[in-house]
Formats: sequence, C-alpha cells, structure tokens
Amino acid sequence: MDKFKKFLPGIWFLDPPKDISLDGYRIDNVIQYTDFVITLYFGIVVAAIIFFVWRYNSRKHPHAVHDHGNQKKHLYVTVAMGLLVFFSIDVVIESMSFKDLKEAFWNFPKGKDVVRIEIMPQQYAWNIRYPGEDDVFGTDDDIVPPQNILHIPVNTPIVVQLTTYDVIHSLYLPNFRYKQDATPGMVTAMWFQAKETGNFEFACAELCGNSHFKMKGYLTVESKDEFDNWIASQEPEVSEDDEDDWGDEDEGVPTKWAWQWKELK
Amino acid sequence: MSSSKSIMSTHIFSTDHKTIGKQFLFFGIFFLLFGGFQALLIRWQLAYPEQPVPWWLLGFLFDGDGGIITPDMYNQLFTMHGTIMIFWAITPLLIGAFGNFLIPLQIGAKDMAFPTLNMLSFWTFFLSGVVLLVSYFLPMGVASGGWTSYPPLSLPAGGIPGLGQAFWTLSITVMGVATMMGAINYVITIIRLRAPGMTYFRMPLSVWGLWLASILNVIFVPVIAAGLIMLLIDQLLGTQFFLAGRLAAGGGGDPLLFQHVFWIFGHPEVYILILPVWGIVSELLSVFSRKPAFGYKVTAICMSTIVVLSSLVWGHHMYTTGMSPLLGKTFMFLTLLISIPSSIFFFNWLATLWRGSLHFDPPMLYTMAVIWVFAIGGLTGLYNATVTADIYLHDTMFVVGHFHYTMAASVLFGGYAAIAYWFPRMFGRMLNPFISKVHFWGTFITINLVFFNMMALGYAGHHRRIYNPNEYEFLQPLMDMNIFITIMALLLGAFQILYLYNFVQSLFKGKVAETNPWKANTLEWSMDYPIPHGNFETIPQVVNGPNEYSHPNVKDADWVCQTVKIEGES
Repeated sequence: MDKFKKFLPGIWFLDPPKDISLDGYRIDNVIQYTDFVITLYFGIVVAAIIFFVWRYNSRKHPHAVHDHGNQKKHLYVTVAMGLLVFFSIDVVIESMSFKDLKEAFWNFPKGKDVVRIEIMPQQYAWNIRYPGEDDVFGTDDDIVPPQNILHIPVNTPIVVQLTTYDVIHSLYLPNFRYKQDATPGMVTAMWFQAKETGNFEFACAELCGNSHFKMKGYLTVESKDEFDNWIASQEPEVSEDDEDDWGDEDEGVPTKWAWQWKELK
Repeated sequence: MSSSKSIMSTHIFSTDHKTIGKQFLFFGIFFLLFGGFQALLIRWQLAYPEQPVPWWLLGFLFDGDGGIITPDMYNQLFTMHGTIMIFWAITPLLIGAFGNFLIPLQIGAKDMAFPTLNMLSFWTFFLSGVVLLVSYFLPMGVASGGWTSYPPLSLPAGGIPGLGQAFWTLSITVMGVATMMGAINYVITIIRLRAPGMTYFRMPLSVWGLWLASILNVIFVPVIAAGLIMLLIDQLLGTQFFLAGRLAAGGGGDPLLFQHVFWIFGHPEVYILILPVWGIVSELLSVFSRKPAFGYKVTAICMSTIVVLSSLVWGHHMYTTGMSPLLGKTFMFLTLLISIPSSIFFFNWLATLWRGSLHFDPPMLYTMAVIWVFAIGGLTGLYNATVTADIYLHDTMFVVGHFHYTMAASVLFGGYAAIAYWFPRMFGRMLNPFISKVHFWGTFITINLVFFNMMALGYAGHHRRIYNPNEYEFLQPLMDMNIFITIMALLLGAFQILYLYNFVQSLFKGKVAETNPWKANTLEWSMDYPIPHGNFETIPQVVNGPNEYSHPNVKDADWVCQTVKIEGES
C-alpha cells in the first residue's frame, strides 16, 4: 500500500519534512485548513459538472432553457456565492495567518537567553558567526565555525540576521517550515526555536547560480550544554597566535565580515 | 483578391488581421514546441540526474559534455523554458493569434484600427524571437538567471558569463514593444470600430477577455520595459540601479527595486495570459450548451474587477524578502479579495451548463477541461496568498505546480479549445474529431498527474531550480515521484505530437467545413470561407446580444445571428 500510495496524485500522501520547531504547527494548521476547504469547494464543482453532464447532455436534454441568468434572484445567488467563499476561506485563513504572524513569526523574542547568529551566504556556501564571549559581533572573539556548519541549542529562541556576500540567497529550513531571503545592501531577520535535537539539512531556496543545488548546510540541534561545549571548542576568529593570518581569503572564504547587530524595533 | 498581388503582400507582409493572426499562431506553435521540448529535458534531469540524455530527446546535443546535462545547461533550460513559454508561446497564441483574428470579425469591423501598425507588431515580435534564438549561438550560451532574472545574479557581477543575460533582456524589451503596438491597436479597435448596434454589452465575452488583457498590456508592459532598459544598461554599461552590497561601488542601488518593477508587471501578466481564456471559455460554454451565458454582464464586470485588483497584489511574490509586516498583510488581504469576483464568474460558468443542452464536440471538451484545471489552479493560489503558508511553500515545487495549473494547463486547454472551435473559420477545414478526443483525454490525464504531483512534491519540501535532488537527504525519498512525473510528462509530450499531426493533416486534408459548423450567433460565422481582406462587404447592423441560443421566439433553429431581429425583443 505504501508503494502504491506514492504513485497516486495526492497532496495527502506525501508528508512534509519532520517539524521540529515550536511554531511550525501553525503553518501546518493553516495549510490543513486550506486543504480541507478547497477540497470541499472543488468537490462541489466536480459534482456539479458530473451531474450537469449526465442530466443535460444533448441526448437526454435536447432543448436548452433560454435563460440569461440576469434576474435579481440570480444576482443575489451569485453574490451570496462570492461572499460565502470570502467568509469561509479568505477571512478564516487570513485571521489564522495574521494571528500566527503577530504571536510568533513577526514577534521577535528578546531577553538574555536568546541566541543570536549572523549568517552571510555566498556563492555557494554559508558563512556563520556567533558573537563569542563578549556577546558583541565584530570583535576578535567572534566564533566562526567552518562554512555550512550551524549548531543551535534546543528549546532556546534563535534570532538570525542575514545579508549576503554577493547575489540574493534564501535560508530555507524545511524542518522549521521557514525561509528568509538574504539580499545585498540590507539586513533581514528571522527567528525560530527547536523542540527536538538531531541532525538536519538546510538549503538555499533562491536561485544563485550554477551550483545553487549544492548550497547545502548541516544543522545540529543539541542540548544547551552540548552547544556551550561546542562553542567553547571553536577557535575565536582572531586568536593570539594567528594575528598575522589573513584568513582564507585566497580560497574564497571571506573573513571579518561581521556587521553591527541591528536592534529590532 | 486580385491575382496581381504578390504572395509577399498577401501572406508575408500582409496588413490583413486574419493573416497576421495566423502568422502569430504558427509562430506561437513553433515556440510552444521549442519550450515544451526544453521542459522534457528538465524533467529528464530531475528524474535521472546526470544520466546521458537518450537519443529520442536529442541526446546528441549534449555529446560535448559526455551526453549529460550540466548544471549550467540545466539553469539555462529552465530559464529559457519559462521565458519562451510565457512571452513567445502563450502570448502570441492567445493574444496575438486570437486577438488579431477574432476582434475585428466579432465586433463587425473591416480590420484593425491601424493595420500597418498591426503588421509592424508581428514583425517586431518576429525580430524579438530572432534575437532570442541568436542568443543560443553565443559562445557562453543563453541566459541562466531564471525567467525572473533577479539582479545581482543577472548582472555581470552575479557571475553568469557571456552576453546571454543581455540578449535575454534585449529580446524581451523588443517583445514588449511589439506587445504594446498590438495592445494599443486592440484597445482602440474595440473602442472605435464596433459595428452599429454592437454595444459593449453585446460583445462576445471572448472579445471582453481580449480587451481587458490588452488594457493591462498597455498599462503594465511599459513598466517592465523601463525596468528591463535599466537592467540592460546595468548589464552593459556598468550602472548600478539594481546592484548593492559588497559588489557595488559607493552604496549602489537596490536589487529589490527590480523585484517590485518585475512583479508590478509580472502579476498582471498572469492575468494578461488567462483573461483571453476566461473570455473564450465563457463564450464557448454558451455555444455548446445552446443557451445564453449565465449572468453575462456580471461575468464581464467580474473580469473587469479582477483587472483592477490584479494591479494591486504584486507584493505576494515577495513575502520572504523581509518586507514590512504591514505591507505583507495588505498584499495578502488584496490578493484574497480576488477570490470574490473569481468565484462569481466561476459560478456563472457552471450555471451556464445548468438546463442547457450540452454538445460534447472537441472544443467543448477542452473548455470543460479549463473549468477543471482552473479550479485547481485558482484554489491552490490561496496557499501562496497566505503569508505564513507561503513562507514555507515559496520557491518550492508547489509554486511550480500551482502556476502551471493556471498558466500552462488552463492556457493550453483554452488555446486548444479556441483552435478547435475557430479552425474551420481560419482554414476552412475541420480538425479530425476522433484524434482530437484521443488527444483531449491523453492530455487531460497526464497534465493533471504532472502538475498535481509537483504540488505534492513542494508540500514535501522539494525546493525548485535544483539540478540534482539527490544532493539532499530529505529529498531522496521523493525520487520515485520525480520519476513518475517525468514519465507522465513524456507521455504528455507524446500526445502533443499526435496533436501536431492532427493539426497539419487537417490543414491540408481535413473535412471541408460548412459556413457555420457550430451553429453560432456571432458575426465571424456570418460569412462564407474564405473571408476576403476587409471582411464585411457592408458593415453589419447588430440587433442582438451574442448568446441568444434556444430563444423561444426563434422558430426551427436554436440559434440566431446577431444581425437578425428576434420577434418580440426590443
């Protein structure tokens, strides 16, 4: 049956990636409501088509009824139809979506326990930066792990600010149901929170050149202790013994690219 | 027509709107095949990544690269597939061919308002196609920045080598000039040259659709033309309208500006493509149900409302760019408003069938298919209009499936319906109805299996424009579905070859058509084939609306030409 299922046309048979986020359920809910209500309306359309084809085909019903459908009662019915659609679909999904944006996605967390990360994608890799011990970006103790490696603690709000080294990229986290563009000349922001540990993938969702498909990152969600240990095990960007090291600029890896954290209003 | 006129003036550089319409038709079919073939290559790569392209997909084209599609080529393929289908296949097929052929005939005019401008429009269009095809012979190949060509990727600083991107920009700019010339002509023809008695609310709904689409063209093509000219001088002269960040000197411009300009045009553009289909569907449903279009005026007003709304919703393509929350909510609200007029005219379509006498000739089958695929396409748009759902589904295969339902499936079936219906008017012969029905069922089944499953893939997280899905672990379980879609797409392509055979065979050997094979009321059927240059000997006096089918006061027939007075009607 499972083998058979995936050869059926069906949005209901392919599952989205596992949701490990605090708020991903909100997106799943609005999608599920939309699934339900449009299936209902589509079912009505199909039922009407089938019935009309069976009942009013020319063999069964050789003489059509001359009717312009331009009387007052017809107008009332059609307008009622439009309003029904508006209130049963539009108003519902709009209020769901607005509520989710207000309560979650556009409601950035504040406070001491928030983990802040700066991410600057380039063709075709992810540069990731943690503020280090002083909690300020752009200082010598910033932690810059190898490209494409992102670690976050579980059950902790993560705020990411993004800009790009070259063209537009988009940070796509399938397991969080979220993506955010990184655009030249501006800093954009997103936040999310994991509720499960594990290893996951993230991707670039905006076409960025011929190796766009290879722009993959590895996300590790771990406990707070493990995360702290991992941070401690990373070398700061500028350590005492490599003052003269100019980084790997020759190999196309940018260094010292931090920007001042933008406080959100 | 006098025999002294050369073939050049009657068939090549003709100012006759019917000839120009046919020229657009053949032009569009050529590019439809070309763009469709590229789609099959994209599907091959997605199902069998980095495996040699088989000979029956012209594998020899890839011999230089070991027979496989390289990442660069893959990006070029989907860029050109989208560009060609939108600008050089759908636009000429519906607006070019049927706009030209139908508007003067259906409103009772001798020709377009500006016949020479009309000819110039086609030849400018032709030139834009040549520029596009020439770019295939550039040393570094064609454009590969996606059909949206967002800067900075589409600028030299974005890293795409060669002149492909500049040729892309130039060819679309030239195409835009041709479109503007055509659109101004259509709009003015409809306003000025309607026959006496042909009021706006006696025009066939097909003319309404074409008229509204042309109005959108007149307003919004100049917007994209301005944006493209800025992009072109960014590309060639090194200005920085759309360049910012590290790559720009001294602050630079704003890449988001291009996205706004692109979608201010781009969203109306999808309605430019679909409005002629809505009109044709409304008209054909009435003809083949043998009863008037239900709520004719309401349908026309709803389509006009959508024209206005369509120009206010472009921001829903940009939810993930980090736009202000207030703007995001506004765009979502305006986008959802479109569902009111859409559901009203959709209801009118179904009510037209109600108590009709339905004849399932091939044009009617294709028309019914539009109802089906457009229902799916329209309803699935709701996910993309919703900010939160779109943040997940944006840039996934879901979007690809959705817009192929609205723009590919609906427009294709609308085009097939129009060709099947007006083929006898254009060429004096009938398409083979049996082959048409086989083609209809084959296309209907496979096209749904292709595009519906694409939406399912997107829901499962499959992002778009990915050369090799196997790169990601979470996409590997979806490989079976990718293979299934590709097999269905190949079948879909095979059915189109059958269609082409039917088209060409019927063109020369098809059954000779009667003057009015569908017993239709509209003016284009009131003359014998071939209709001479200048159409009507005397301009007709119109006394009826377009859809007076099965009128109780008309004896012995269920139709009456728009010029014949019905007893008891004022």
